[in-house]
Amino acid sequence: MSFLTSLTGGIRDLFRKKQAEREMDEELRNYLDATAQEKMRSGMSREQALRAARVEMGSTEAVKEGIRGAGWESTLETFWQDLRYGVRQLRRSPGFTTVAVLTLALGIGANTAIFSMIDAIMLKTLPVDDPSRLVVLRWAAHTQPERNGTSSFGDCDRGEKHNPSGCSLPYPFFELIHSQKDAFSSATAFAGPASLVMTGNGLARIASGEVVSGDYFSTLGVKAVWGRTLSPEDETPSALPVIVLSYAYWQTAFGGSNDVLGRSIQLNRVPATIVGVAEPGFTHLSPGKSPDLFLTISAIPSLNVPWGNIEAGMRTYDEWWLVVVARLAPGVSLVQAQAAATLAFRNAMLHGEKPRSKEADDPKILLLPAQDGLVGQREFFAQPLYILMCAVGLVLLIACANVAGLLLARATARQKEMAIRLAVGGGRLRIIRQLLTESVALSVAGGALGVLFAYWGVRVMTGPLVLGKTDRPFPFAIQPDWRALAFTISISVLTGLIFGLAPALRSTRLSLTPALKDNGSLLSGGAASHRGRWRLDRALVVVQVGLSMIVLVGAGLMVRTLQNLRNVNAGFDTHNLLLFGINPTLQMYKGSQIQSLYQNMQERVSALPSVISVSYSSDTLLSGSLWTSDLHIEGQPEKSTQEVDMLATGADFVKTLRIPVLEGRAFTPADFDIAAQAAALREAAEQEPAAAKPSTAAKSPAPVSPTVPIMVNAAFVHRYFPNENPLGKMLKQGDSNSASGGSFGSAPNIRRWAIVGVVGDTKYDDLRREIQPGVYVPLATGGAYFEVRTAANPSSLVPQVRDIANRLDSNLPLFGVRTQTDAVESLMTQERVIARLSSFFGLLALVLACIGIYGLLAYEVARRTREIGIRMSLGAERADVTRLIIARGMKLTALGLILGGIAGLALTRLLSSLLFNIKPADPATYVAVTLLLAAVAFLASYLPAWRASKVDPMVALRYE
Amino acid sequence: MNLSSAELVQGTLDMLILKTLQLEPRHGYGIAQRIEQISKGVFRVNPGSLFPAFRRLERQGWIKAEWRPTENHRRAKYYRLTDRGRGQLKTETAEWTRQLAAITRIMEAS
Repeated sequence: MSFLTSLTGGIRDLFRKKQAEREMDEELRNYLDATAQEKMRSGMSREQALRAARVEMGSTEAVKEGIRGAGWESTLETFWQDLRYGVRQLRRSPGFTTVAVLTLALGIGANTAIFSMIDAIMLKTLPVDDPSRLVVLRWAAHTQPERNGTSSFGDCDRGEKHNPSGCSLPYPFFELIHSQKDAFSSATAFAGPASLVMTGNGLARIASGEVVSGDYFSTLGVKAVWGRTLSPEDETPSALPVIVLSYAYWQTAFGGSNDVLGRSIQLNRVPATIVGVAEPGFTHLSPGKSPDLFLTISAIPSLNVPWGNIEAGMRTYDEWWLVVVARLAPGVSLVQAQAAATLAFRNAMLHGEKPRSKEADDPKILLLPAQDGLVGQREFFAQPLYILMCAVGLVLLIACANVAGLLLARATARQKEMAIRLAVGGGRLRIIRQLLTESVALSVAGGALGVLFAYWGVRVMTGPLVLGKTDRPFPFAIQPDWRALAFTISISVLTGLIFGLAPALRSTRLSLTPALKDNGSLLSGGAASHRGRWRLDRALVVVQVGLSMIVLVGAGLMVRTLQNLRNVNAGFDTHNLLLFGINPTLQMYKGSQIQSLYQNMQERVSALPSVISVSYSSDTLLSGSLWTSDLHIEGQPEKSTQEVDMLATGADFVKTLRIPVLEGRAFTPADFDIAAQAAALREAAEQEPAAAKPSTAAKSPAPVSPTVPIMVNAAFVHRYFPNENPLGKMLKQGDSNSASGGSFGSAPNIRRWAIVGVVGDTKYDDLRREIQPGVYVPLATGGAYFEVRTAANPSSLVPQVRDIANRLDSNLPLFGVRTQTDAVESLMTQERVIARLSSFFGLLALVLACIGIYGLLAYEVARRTREIGIRMSLGAERADVTRLIIARGMKLTALGLILGGIAGLALTRLLSSLLFNIKPADPATYVAVTLLLAAVAFLASYLPAWRASKVDPMVALRYE
Repeated sequence: MNLSSAELVQGTLDMLILKTLQLEPRHGYGIAQRIEQISKGVFRVNPGSLFPAFRRLERQGWIKAEWRPTENHRRAKYYRLTDRGRGQLKTETAEWTRQLAAITRIMEAS
């Protein structure tokens, strides 16, 4: 009740403020009169009485302040007053305000953007039900268990070579885990995504399908927004292929239409029914991996999923390919579950039908929280993000130092104003509050602008400017993170508070007389009292220069790395080369059909105007894919194998890529016939026993296959035949299995090769890897990438190439259509992102440090105008004055450079793994950055110095 | 003895002001004078405390101000006790008496 009265009373007074003030004056005057009257009655003269009354009352203003302070509205009013006054003050010095607000905004914006990305990519919890109870299984053993093949799809990080471990597990083991209901309430296994050609919904297109076990969705606790999710019944061998769409794919490929349920589409030419759409929140399981649709494991054979080697042993202990994720049973701890899983794993490995590990290998299962264990694409972004986080952190520090310096200088300039306000009775608290309001207003303005910068920053960082041209959108959804924003804004507000408070406290504590008399000179002994603040000012500038040095050195190293990478000689002409992929095996093409399709394609594309030549290969060079194989090479110890790079190519490959033929010859059409023959024989040998009795496949005698001609690179000759003629030398594949990592897994099934030519060295998967001994085999089967050498801009050919492919087979979608230059650029995404962003932040740091130096000196010149005038009138030359000011700026810069250099040497070592052909302590970079900073600092000092030298002694002496 | 109001127990001044207004409305000076007179000069209330106290009491809704002509034909701001002010005075008086009795008992106990 009384609260209400107080509220209404306050509001009423706020509205009739003028009248209230008038009444207050009148009331006090009356009081004075009455007191005086009383005193006159006791015999004083009128003047005496009035004076006595005034003395008794004290300052009328103070009393009025007291009255105003008694109501709550005064606090609000003072705040409002402070704010208006503050804004007015800030508007009076637009330079200061603009610089301070922009500085803060950039610092806040950059940090919020980077933190938002870190949050989205590194920290966001899995979009599943109760992720804390979800674990991913990881096997570990001292040596690799015996098995035919292992496949991983980038869900977990890879184990180290000397300490094998991994997340890929065989299907039977998943079944074991699935049945351990005491430890795990449910479990699911998944792999992929697999590339599937989807037809029956507009144009044929490639969709990515995650292959999952029946209780994938129920284990994760993910529901369907339409229809149903997959269930164990869908996994029975007799079940018809069904799929569940991801929400995003439903939106993009099906326009979010309601009638998809029950609709039949074709995947790899096999009908499959859409039974549901997953809920929108389920964007991924492994970060950055967002499949278009989900299908069951049992659909692999029926949908012709092109995982040849996996398919053969998909339900045996021979193939390790599934990631197993399980939910801990209620009340079971991670350790207990881990013990149970390890027991099962040991039994399977040591005492199974065929022992796969030895006792001494100590095979075991580790359970990792799915949140940490499923890294997905997180790893790829982790390093750049943390490096950039350091860079923006430094920028924020510089920004804060800058604003702090500005506030300090400003507070000093206003010392006189403060003294006057104190002298006329302004309360100390009131003045401090006013100064704080001003700095907080500054920080809030900076924060508001920072939000805009953050939005914009996230957009730029995930856009083509930074990431380059990619055929896929950025795999993470990023929203500016409000926590990060709150954090950075509080830091800047704190800076405002601390560096606004320090001078406020000091200037309100000072004794009034010297401050009022202060004529802004450092000549007087009074300067001693300023020394503390001056030291802080200068320290801030030194810190700024030092921090900028660190950021710039880091940026410099990354820019040099990028340059070094760009200057790498790839060994072939990367310009004017169009690439596209095509995979006829998905459409059930076999042996000779594939050959003739490729030849048709080659012929027709070659006929296009401005096309110089066309070829194809199992992978494109410099696209990140690598295929290596263990082969026996003639002249090497019997039964030994050597790991060499392999690439299957079509006709005209070296001609199209402009790789020089050094010795012997390139492939001829006859070579491909031999390769095709060998492949056919091998395929037949594999198919036959596989149908009858898979386990004995390896033992059945393969028909003798013909010797296939191959080319090798110069590095191969250098390593294995340094002093011999390599032509005619033989290679053969040993009994051990070939490891294949290429895009089209299945190795051309060749056993015996003979060298017919030697070609120049080229880089293979990326630019950093050293050139290894490499072998070119004729491409006989599998999918392929085409390379089209053009006379002009290759991108303009894309529609014609699509048209040709469409006419050859409308169900064959092209994929990975891009130029070789784009492919090379996308190899350098990480480096480019870091180089571009750190350069930007480096420049930002440079500009901020410059402003810092300039601000300090300009302010100093303004303060010392009188002193400079005196010096000049006593005979100092203008050059002396200029030198004096510049020397001051450069001294601080030098100190900052030394400290920054030392810190830089310590910090840039963290970059070493990202650098290429350059050392973290690269002298050239350090010298360049030092010179750059020194030059810019010189300019920043020159301007105030020049202004100082223009001081007219007469005017300066009359100053103030 | 000349105590300044700052030495008055916090809140006591408010109570004294309410008390002086119990019989009739008074203006600021009248209230100060009344307090001084009745306390026989012990309490001399400084305007710096008095006027903020008026504002405070007004906001509490315990007194109400109105402009009235004075004896010498000028106008002055008179404060008058509201009904809620009367109630407040009653509770404060009761509380004060209780405390005073307690303090007296403590002081007189040997």
